[in-house]
Amino acid sequence: MMQKEILKSARTGDSCVHVKHKSGLDIYICEMKGFRSVEAVIGTKYGSINNMFRTDSDSEFTTVPEGIAHFLEHKLFENQECGVFELFAKTGANCNAYTSFDKTAYLFSCSANYQENLRILLNFVQDPYFTDENVKKEMGIIGQEIQMTCDDPDWRVMFNMLECMYHSHPVKIDIAGTKESISHITPELLYKCYNTFYDLNNMALSIAGNIDADEVLAICDECLKDCEDHGLETYFGDEPETIVKKEIRQKFDIGADIFNLGYKCRPCSGSEKLKKTAAAAIAGELLTDPSSEMYQRLLKANIINSTFSYEVFTGDGYFSLIFSGESEKSEIIRDELIAEVKRMVNEGIPEKDFRRFQKTMYAVLIRELNNVEMVSSMMLDAYLEGVSPFDIIEHIAELTAQDVCGFMKNELDSEKLVLSVVERKAE
Amino acid sequence: MEYKRIEIGDSIGFSTVIDEKFKTSALTVRLITELSGETASEDSLAMSVLTDTNSKYTTIAAMSEALTELYGSGISSFVSKRGDLMISGISASWLASRYAIYGEDIQGSMLEIFSDCLFRPNVVNGEFESEAFAIAKQELLDRIDAELNSKRDYALAKAIETAFKGEPAANRCYGTRRTAEAVTSKGAYEAYKRILSTARVEITFVSAEDDPSVEAMMRKGFAEIDRHPADISYMSLSPLKSEPASVSKEFDVNQCKMVMVFKTDCTDVFALRMFSTILGETPVSKLFRNVREKLSLCYYCGCRKLITKGAIIIDSGVERENIEKARTEILAQIADMQKGDFTDEDMENACLAVENSLDQVGDTTASYSSWYFERLCEGKIVTPEEMAADFRSVTKERIIEAAKSLKLDTEYLMLDREVKE
Repeated sequence: MMQKEILKSARTGDSCVHVKHKSGLDIYICEMKGFRSVEAVIGTKYGSINNMFRTDSDSEFTTVPEGIAHFLEHKLFENQECGVFELFAKTGANCNAYTSFDKTAYLFSCSANYQENLRILLNFVQDPYFTDENVKKEMGIIGQEIQMTCDDPDWRVMFNMLECMYHSHPVKIDIAGTKESISHITPELLYKCYNTFYDLNNMALSIAGNIDADEVLAICDECLKDCEDHGLETYFGDEPETIVKKEIRQKFDIGADIFNLGYKCRPCSGSEKLKKTAAAAIAGELLTDPSSEMYQRLLKANIINSTFSYEVFTGDGYFSLIFSGESEKSEIIRDELIAEVKRMVNEGIPEKDFRRFQKTMYAVLIRELNNVEMVSSMMLDAYLEGVSPFDIIEHIAELTAQDVCGFMKNELDSEKLVLSVVERKAE
Repeated sequence: MEYKRIEIGDSIGFSTVIDEKFKTSALTVRLITELSGETASEDSLAMSVLTDTNSKYTTIAAMSEALTELYGSGISSFVSKRGDLMISGISASWLASRYAIYGEDIQGSMLEIFSDCLFRPNVVNGEFESEAFAIAKQELLDRIDAELNSKRDYALAKAIETAFKGEPAANRCYGTRRTAEAVTSKGAYEAYKRILSTARVEITFVSAEDDPSVEAMMRKGFAEIDRHPADISYMSLSPLKSEPASVSKEFDVNQCKMVMVFKTDCTDVFALRMFSTILGETPVSKLFRNVREKLSLCYYCGCRKLITKGAIIIDSGVERENIEKARTEILAQIADMQKGDFTDEDMENACLAVENSLDQVGDTTASYSSWYFERLCEGKIVTPEEMAADFRSVTKERIIEAAKSLKLDTEYLMLDREVKE
């Protein structure tokens, strides 16, 4: 008998059910009263960075072509009889999938007949079908996806920055790989990756909305095949704390220059990562705060505009606080940012400012807990981080201005700051 | 859920949607006017400057600080295009006061900010305050410059410009760099007054609990405005060109973009929507299955409809060498539909996809707001269930007739630069 664990936020009253299924799969279920839709996502801890790995049965690490996790995601949408899209079309559900740096996820949203959709989802992720013919066909489609991202300045400015930030960590590699790297992908390699990473012990199902938890668990019992834990181990190389170089520029056929300014921070995991993410987010809020003197100075001098924003970029073996926006004078933003961090570290963060952003982040979480799609995504992300879905609320509540100041002092090192610019070609 | 709509002034609709599941509230004021190339820039600037500051919070810094104190509440202006119309206005969203940790009246404070932004903007000597205006103007110029950053959107905008040449819908709702540069703070303030006087207004409040003060605030604000609402038309079918227009331009890109605009004089709206869904709006559509999956020509090839203009737009990202193949296949898929070469299963799948999407209306405050607004524009308030029934009633013959009515009007190609030997 599987034990249903109720995970609850004492602060907001929200709760969900967690079950460690006998198949090895972690299952998170959130019944949301009053909502009509259902969002379900099944995800594996397998993304573009997992290119070197081994299991208990391997003596050596296997290295696979760049972009294979994303390729596998495309191909899992095709089983022996028909495409998965066709199965979902018969129920009307909207289905999709995505691959990021450290996860691959398959999802559907629907308003009726979630039981049948859940069966389709659970069955197709356990039923790979790769052939020479269907692998070859996909190369043309993914090749065009790669070409499209090559023309996306936001994509390029970020990967250029990551290349300057990381010496060996595969986070610097494009998620979809290159046309050349995917040309080495074979059905055998896809099966190798599938059998390694699509082990249910390495995966979680997250489902939220207009559902019944017992019904969900009964369908899981019906569809999930038992999996043995293969002792998966991935390797990212020995990444030093230093960056590769401080600045990179690329010319593009665009209308407005854009930039990424990223601090390379020390990676961490689990609860420590959650705390650090909360501190980094408040640091990001403070450094992009439109009411700050720095922001006002840069805005009035036409150096930044409302696109100036931040992102906390984290995953397995990487952590960065990235500032981005449109500007023709991003080197001035870099100098101002360095000075502002120094000033905040020296003078401390005013309690009043800290509280404003603490309240803002709290409100963001309350909003997310009121959205079916967000709840489903939040529960999966918590699993991937190895924490409970509501832990972040407590971390934000317990955070202090000194924690944020400490993060800035210890992690926002100007020697580890990379500026990436994509600028207009001359007329 | 409770929905109610009343008129609170000359062409001013006030709708409330009360649904107890929500933890946030949302208030949107939509101002509907005819889109004009001459005034688009000053109209959009008049709107954008409204939410950066107001008569109480006279700097961006002060406004931003106030909003973050209110748990990161958001207030912003928007400008969009709906056929020949410009839909502009202000939208705000905030956390329900019951979630305030320190007992703040978030809703009361946000209503005050909203009211000041809309009715008491930051005006000095009969024009928008100069510093706030200068920042908003620069922001608008930056938005116009950045259009080319998104190649797909840029190609779509250029195709629309060509397809609807000479009609209001050909204009961008932000105008052009030339018109934006010419706007003065006085001109923008005059535009603000003109819009509030002449626009058809639709207000939507979505919340867990009703709050009569919202209606009272809107009544009071609009009572002080001398209203002269202009006539507008929500439908304005675009005439077909005598010969299809073809525009191509080279850029430094890796992937070419092809946009095809088809026009129709068919008024069977649900048949057109079914046609568009079957042809190219889902992952089992004819374009997805054939142009992408069977021929592997592209990553995306999809279809969208501009019902108000009687147009269907198909866009795709392809290699230069495959443009002709993709074009041939797209036209072949349309020809198949004109001949009735689509199955009952195609129709059933389209209905199910539409029903699935309609059933989810109401799970967010924004979906309620846009649902009721769109229905008002279409002239009839219906429930999602009633609309689903309209889709279900479409027959194969009606879809064939809709398909036959489509004629190619415009093709826009964004090409990579050819390597000269």
